[in-house]
Amino acid sequence: MLIQFFLIVGFCLALYVTWKRWKQRVIPLLEAVGWSVLWLGGVAVTLIPKITERLASVFGVGRGVDLILYAAVAVLFFLVFKLFISHEKLERKLTDVVRREALGELGAEAKQQTSNSKQQGEG
Amino acid sequence: MRVIGVMPAYNEATRIGQAIRACLPYLDRLVVVDDGSKDATYAVAQAVGDPKIVVLRHRINRDQGAALRTGSEAALRLGADIIVHIDADGQHDPAEIPKLVEPIITGKADAVLGSRFMGAEPQGMPLIRKWLLLAGRTFNTLALGIPRSVTDPQSGFRAYTAHAASKIAFTQNRKAHASEILRLVTRSGLRWQEVPIHVRYTADTLRKGNQTSDAFKIAWQLLLGAFTE
Repeated sequence: MLIQFFLIVGFCLALYVTWKRWKQRVIPLLEAVGWSVLWLGGVAVTLIPKITERLASVFGVGRGVDLILYAAVAVLFFLVFKLFISHEKLERKLTDVVRREALGELGAEAKQQTSNSKQQGEG
Repeated sequence: MRVIGVMPAYNEATRIGQAIRACLPYLDRLVVVDDGSKDATYAVAQAVGDPKIVVLRHRINRDQGAALRTGSEAALRLGADIIVHIDADGQHDPAEIPKLVEPIITGKADAVLGSRFMGAEPQGMPLIRKWLLLAGRTFNTLALGIPRSVTDPQSGFRAYTAHAASKIAFTQNRKAHASEILRLVTRSGLRWQEVPIHVRYTADTLRKGNQTSDAFKIAWQLLLGAFTE
């Protein structure tokens, strides 16, 4: 079927790009292997769709396609959540930069205060 | 003991002058943090012209929690023994600052939290907000492990020692900082207590303050915070 052809071409392309990125040292070997397992799994499922049905019955889901959809939703949810977290980290870094600049306005007075406190501590 | 107030402010040009002047008699210094306001908040705060005041400015808006943390850091650098957090919109009564710092000065507490629900009824607080705060209290207990005995889950009027500040290293930029501070105060081995405070709500402060939907945003921010270093 035509859909199978396009899917397999897509997976092969993804596999090629993955190893190209490894060769360019953009991703580590372990990550390249992980992605490759995913793409090859896609090829296997495309060629032998019955695999998903067998898997679906193991998980107690009616059809193989449903299992893939459920898994896709779970993976997407995870990725979106990860995105939110990296966004939050960036926000905090931005706050640190803004804060450092604001505290810079304190300048000499704070330095004077710090040295006074040190002297008191030593005394 | 050197008591330094921290007042975060965002677009408060019309109210901040009065709020600052009202606080000064009760503080040794006051750090005002203009959180990237679009109006003349910074200029108005500076124009008060009292040597006790230090006005800092966030170049861009980073929200209330971030401004409070900046102000608290500044207070520590200025040699604070006690840091007092107070809102810029005038809903807190500065005359209650001595009541807030008294348990610290007498050595009974490291952190003191102002509570709107200890007998002093808040003026003008809508019923829906009371219910939300009640739900917030339950959420704090179940999700964050904050003792049920904490009566006000979202109070912004508080005081703590410079020593306690090292344990109250809050990182939430937005409104979730209040719950985060409560968690840090009550779960870091610090001695803490609540004191009753009066809060006066006006149409103006209610419009700018917490909205009903903020409860969900706070829960979401806390969840994200749990996964962020």
